[in-house]
Amino acid sequence: MPAMNNLGKVGVVLLAFILLIALFAPQLAPYDPHKSSPQNYQAPGKEHFLGTNDIGQDIFSELLFGARTSLLIGFLSALISIALGTLIGMLAGWFEGGTDRWLMKLTAFFMTIPYLPAVIILSAFTRPGIISTSVILGIMSWPATARIVRSETMTLKKREYIQVCKAMGAPDRYLLFRHIVKELMPLIMYRAAARVRAGILGESSLSFLGLGSAAQKSWGTMLYYAQAKNALLTKAWVWWVLPPGLCIALVSCALSMISYGAETRLDRRMEDLL
Amino acid sequence: MTERREMRKRILHYLLLLALVITVNFFLPRLLPGSPIKTLTGEEVGSLTAAEKQGILAAYDLDKPLGKQFLLYLRNLFTLNWGNSYSKRQPIWRLIRSRTGWTLLLAGSNLLVSTVIGSLLGLFAASHRQSRRGAAALIGSTVISSLPSFWVAMILLSVFGAQLGWFPLYGAYDLWGKYTGFARFLDILRHLALPLITMVFTSFMMFFTTARYGALQVLSDDYIKMAYMRGISPGRVRRAYVLRNTWIPVFTMVMLDVGYLLSGSVLIETVFSYPGLGSLMQEAVRARDYPLIQYTFLVSSTLTIFAMFLADLCQPLVDPRLRGAGDE
Repeated sequence: MPAMNNLGKVGVVLLAFILLIALFAPQLAPYDPHKSSPQNYQAPGKEHFLGTNDIGQDIFSELLFGARTSLLIGFLSALISIALGTLIGMLAGWFEGGTDRWLMKLTAFFMTIPYLPAVIILSAFTRPGIISTSVILGIMSWPATARIVRSETMTLKKREYIQVCKAMGAPDRYLLFRHIVKELMPLIMYRAAARVRAGILGESSLSFLGLGSAAQKSWGTMLYYAQAKNALLTKAWVWWVLPPGLCIALVSCALSMISYGAETRLDRRMEDLL
Repeated sequence: MTERREMRKRILHYLLLLALVITVNFFLPRLLPGSPIKTLTGEEVGSLTAAEKQGILAAYDLDKPLGKQFLLYLRNLFTLNWGNSYSKRQPIWRLIRSRTGWTLLLAGSNLLVSTVIGSLLGLFAASHRQSRRGAAALIGSTVISSLPSFWVAMILLSVFGAQLGWFPLYGAYDLWGKYTGFARFLDILRHLALPLITMVFTSFMMFFTTARYGALQVLSDDYIKMAYMRGISPGRVRRAYVLRNTWIPVFTMVMLDVGYLLSGSVLIETVFSYPGLGSLMQEAVRARDYPLIQYTFLVSSTLTIFAMFLADLCQPLVDPRLRGAGDE
């Protein structure tokens, strides 16, 4: 379906745009997002493009800096999750037998751990920060990737050229990290887009519950303060609550489009192979 | 007798998981840095004398060896002697007991409504399949699943609660009204409406996609064509033949996600101040009330594990093909 592929391209452009904004946030932001001012609860106007919050911080600047935290945690957590999932899945699929049985038992175990309560309790007991949040989100979300990678590795292993390399005495490490990983790449990219999206939503949920770092502006943290200060009951909800949520939705939509695009490519590749 | 052996394996799996959760719950606060006294008493720690600190350690058995502590923890766990919450100044067990029912009400009704709406819409979309509508459904589902649930909750609360005043702003029942009987039921329903709508809105999509896919597969099967040819009315075919088989993947979906559905209410409950386990957990997190955080985690995890187990047990009831597969 060509429409799907275009969807993927739109997603990439959108994501690149948001990445640029995040990168140049200090240059683009009209105010220091952490600096409070006496002009609080101001409606959007000339001075403050998107108004101000309860302590007079400029919402537009907060949004720009928030993009950094959200994207960084999204990508970092996805990196950890995908790396763990791919490694475990590859090892299980390649060696089979006992290794496979134990790794898959571990995977099934992790899969049934209640995700949100576990993430909340781990965050509550650690110091909030970009690294700790990414690690927590990453180590709690690898099992699904491991399962897919495992079954894919099992199929790839039977490829003729892999079998030939193996017969010629190529070591497992070489085959796994040179050839199998390369073959798995489209699948990994597809999973990664979905994981970044889940990471961004996870970060915003944690921040919304008050588990974010106070030092880092994030869209979830903005919504946490809006909720804590009862912005919903005042007129301020229009400029304080709507924008951060729309930003989360926009990034997450862009990533969904990218994974759709990757999925259709994956399907076509599969068809080519058949 | 493979079926019974399979069952034993499943039970063992869930029991192990439960044991893991109980153990983690014990070790987590002990492994992490920081003084246990601060964890137990919160910000009051600065004003305590050495003797008082010793007293607290003794009261929580923290002066005993680790193994002994673990045994005492297990005993207290099963005798429901869970200590006090310092932020709420109430026994933790009583707090949790009063909250659990509301979460079950919210999550349970969401499960029921979302699966019914999701599968009916999925079936409808499958039998009126048109490429343009299909694309619209895809885009719609992408957008809906991209919206953070708690944000949707905030918007709905703001528009229908605060601006229009159609629904109450917080709680699960009117704190001042003395309703009884049917009036009380209506009051509870009115408070349930917005949280439930939000939850259904953010979770019916996965059932819709599953049901649509399942129905599309069944619709192209030979026996459905045969049923039409035999002159059975299309409505009956849809109800008795297609729907019956669409339920199976939907139920599998429920099984996989029952944990998410239960714990996903943390965010929604927080927005609506719905007095469930989720909002209790959030309040505990905000007050850094670690003992309370731990036990809400324990209870919500136990409930989730139990729900998954229950879903596992029900699987053969929904899919008759799994029934008695093992015995000859």
